[in-house]
Amino acid sequence: MNAQLRRTFYLFVAGFVALVGVLAYWQVYARESLATDPANRLQSRRVQEVPRGLILAGDGETEIARSEQDGGGGTYSRVYPEGPLYAGVTGYWSTKYGASGLEISQNNNLSGAGEPETLDELINQFSGGPQAGNDVELTLDPELQRLAYDGLASSSTGRGAVVALNPKNGEILSLVSYPSFDPNDIDENFEELAQDPNFPLVNRATQGLYPPGSTFKVITAAAALKAGVKTSDKFKDNGTYETPGYTVYNYRAKEYGQQTFEQALANSVNTIFARIGNEKVGAEALAQKAEDFGFYDPYEDFALPIAPSFFNPPPEQWDQGNIAQSSFGQQTVSSTVFEMANVAGAIANGGTMMQPRLVREVRSPDGAIIDKPTSSVHSRALDEETAGTLTDMMEAAVTQVEKGAEIPGVKVAGKTGTAEAPGGELHSWFISFAPADDPEIAVAVMIENGQEGYKQALPLARRLMEAHLRKEGELPNEAPSPPPAQPQGETTQPGAQPARPQNEGPSQFPFQNPFRSPDQAPGKAPAQNPNQPPGQPPNQPPGQPPNQPQGQPPNQRPGG
Amino acid sequence: MTQRATLPMTIALLITTLGFATLIFVQEANSPPLIYGAYYAGTMVALYLGVRLWLPHSDVLLLPMVTLLTGVGLIMIYRLTYEVPGVENLATTQAGWILVGAGALVAVVIFLRDYQKLFAYKYLLALAAVGFVASTFTPLGYEVNGARLWLQIGSVTFQPSEFARIALIIFFAGYLAEKRDLWAATSKSFMGIQLPALKYFGPVALVWAASLGLLIFEKDLGSSLLFFAVPVLMLYAATGRIAYVILGALLFAIGSFATYLAFSHVQLRVSTWLDPWSDPDDSGFQIAQSIFNIADGGITGTGLGAGFSQTIPEVETDFVFSTIASELGLLGSTAFLLVFLVFVYRGIKISLLAGDDASKLLAFGLTAMFAMQTLIIVGGVTKAIPLTGITLPFVSYGGSSVLGNFVLTGLLLVVSEKAGKRSDAEEARYEAPEKAAV
Repeated sequence: MNAQLRRTFYLFVAGFVALVGVLAYWQVYARESLATDPANRLQSRRVQEVPRGLILAGDGETEIARSEQDGGGGTYSRVYPEGPLYAGVTGYWSTKYGASGLEISQNNNLSGAGEPETLDELINQFSGGPQAGNDVELTLDPELQRLAYDGLASSSTGRGAVVALNPKNGEILSLVSYPSFDPNDIDENFEELAQDPNFPLVNRATQGLYPPGSTFKVITAAAALKAGVKTSDKFKDNGTYETPGYTVYNYRAKEYGQQTFEQALANSVNTIFARIGNEKVGAEALAQKAEDFGFYDPYEDFALPIAPSFFNPPPEQWDQGNIAQSSFGQQTVSSTVFEMANVAGAIANGGTMMQPRLVREVRSPDGAIIDKPTSSVHSRALDEETAGTLTDMMEAAVTQVEKGAEIPGVKVAGKTGTAEAPGGELHSWFISFAPADDPEIAVAVMIENGQEGYKQALPLARRLMEAHLRKEGELPNEAPSPPPAQPQGETTQPGAQPARPQNEGPSQFPFQNPFRSPDQAPGKAPAQNPNQPPGQPPNQPPGQPPNQPQGQPPNQRPGG
Repeated sequence: MTQRATLPMTIALLITTLGFATLIFVQEANSPPLIYGAYYAGTMVALYLGVRLWLPHSDVLLLPMVTLLTGVGLIMIYRLTYEVPGVENLATTQAGWILVGAGALVAVVIFLRDYQKLFAYKYLLALAAVGFVASTFTPLGYEVNGARLWLQIGSVTFQPSEFARIALIIFFAGYLAEKRDLWAATSKSFMGIQLPALKYFGPVALVWAASLGLLIFEKDLGSSLLFFAVPVLMLYAATGRIAYVILGALLFAIGSFATYLAFSHVQLRVSTWLDPWSDPDDSGFQIAQSIFNIADGGITGTGLGAGFSQTIPEVETDFVFSTIASELGLLGSTAFLLVFLVFVYRGIKISLLAGDDASKLLAFGLTAMFAMQTLIIVGGVTKAIPLTGITLPFVSYGGSSVLGNFVLTGLLLVVSEKAGKRSDAEEARYEAPEKAAV
């Protein structure tokens, strides 16, 4: 009989082994998919019972988000002491509407739901102790963040984005989208925010795709330098550049005559860039250079989702008209503010783009460092020599034309953009970095429909650079007297900027005509001379340029 | 036989203490009156010492296993109910049942030392088993969740089928030991399967059919599976004929299919087993919640008291294993299953060492029931097999179940005492000449 007893025992053992196998299937193999099953409400219950980690600003003190215990119930809710200031970065955390921003991308850290990382966490997990989330410290500088936020808030349209970063290590110093929202009240206001025509829930800095306008000329210039164009090469501008089916004009129909390549960038001469794009660079090289600079790159290692910048139609389909317009960042070109900040950063850092980073450190609640990303190279956009040449050109653009960006005692490199916006006013762009010879900060500012780049974006970028450099000890601590052309104060009325009294405010600005002509190229550059009145509103008949992207108003007329 | 298990006993009590300490100090649960803890620990220690005193040759390693299982059961019941209004005293009630069970075990040890006398009353016991089950159809019986398997006497309710099973195993052990040769050597065959003469087969089939029939009417599927499977396994052990197992499985398959066709609640059970996700908020709710909670535990578990298994209906009885898997994880629940397996291993060992067929079959039957019950309910809550409502031995809340399993352990102990005496005597016989040689 004993043989049967043994055999039956083996049968039982097999049964127990099978059960362990079934458990392993549920608890290891199928765990993830079950956790996300819509019928499974355990996760949202857990969320409320466990305090999430802090989100701290780059100073290590400013609390951007924390969890506070509700009265007695053992549940926690999320509090954002800074309100809407960091909302574009943190996103919201709602049991009703889900989560966005860092709250979702850093959820594994913040919720402590990941596998235990420290011995304490392991012990906690075994003993059933509260697995508080880990704290996430960001790279953001609270001062710059506030400055950028206030600057955008007081811009003429109250819509825009700022990205400032340290070109040497890729740390994001400021990332603001405006209008923002208060993540504290997301549960009450979500429906309203979702329907707001100003899209406060959209992060304009990382998700908003805009024509970069003349700021894109730095990429064209980089491609041209690579193609052998010298800064001293001379180009003649007679106010137009003809391609089959499309004629490029300068901003405000200005004629520059003989220009060096360097002057052409400083004055942002569209016709010359269109010519260089077509005759020296070509579609393939231009698109390739843009790609070197991060176009088509979703920056997957970045903590926030990035909408890749792109060309439409794609470069393979470009005709000369498309190349011409792409050369000054119009028509086919769409980019994010984030991307343009990285372009500025890459030029500043000798052509090497550092991996942009928002998270400086992840710490367990008791202070043990769990993750500390180090700076790494994202890509090489330019060789060092070309980057140096381009920096000199951008510096010249500031010293010769965009004097409003100058900071006494510091070399500033920059490029404005006044981008033709689909169906609206011009977008005001400025990308820059300083000090040009040893860059500490690179900035991209975009004010949606904020008119010329120098009017709105430039002063804000300058204030950010100045504030940062002062903090870094590059500038004397006392506020230097602002250059006469650039008042420090925030101006809600762009037209009221005392520095450029000759420029009309937006109400007088001519481009409200929905039938803006592609042939118009109102000269921005001459208008930058405060002594010259703005050009007459161009009023030529509209003509449909070939390969016009769908849905875009039939015209682009970027200015510098 | 293991005659000393002081260290395992200490470890089992320490683990139980650690569990309660975790709940009280980490989860800040209200402490249950400490006196109950003292009662429990005292009961188990006294039981251990008593058994060692009364049954010096028995396999006392069973008791640390019982202590660990009941201890973890108490922790889990306490964890699941201490803050639930209306049932906050469930753990102390269970501790009371453990005390009663321990008393029953002592009674078995004292009064049934000579358990072989029981085999003389095997037909009476078979009748009693049928009577136990049938008693739920008297006015004393009542229905819970559609299954009429409870008996209420005064304020005490219990499930007679728990005791009917043990009585039936004693009957089969005695009967099969007596008729073993006749069953093994048969003349008639049916479809290639050799069958014993009807007159030997008769009593077995009758008891079987009666119990099964009643259980089907009681709609207690888990018990009916046990009532069927355990005797089949005993039949196989007694005769060594795999044909009986095949025949039994075939009969059970036919019976299952018939019940599936006949009862809508069986059909529902099967459909929710096959696809609980199609209706996760209603019919599939219990099993879906169980799986969600088990998965939630992962490898290391959520930690004691940190899971959400209170979302599972009946979690403190049938689904207590889901809580264990959820909060102790794959590692903890595997370790816990090993405790059951050690119990089964000791049970089989007792059976192997027992001197006579009836004792072997008795120990084997009891062990097989324990093992099958564990496999069926753990398999049920993990969706490996269709769910049938039975308890996890010693762990689930339930007086009758605890009491029945203590009686089962008591019977295993008295069988092991006799086997131990025998093997000790044999060892002495082997060792004596060796000593002489040295």
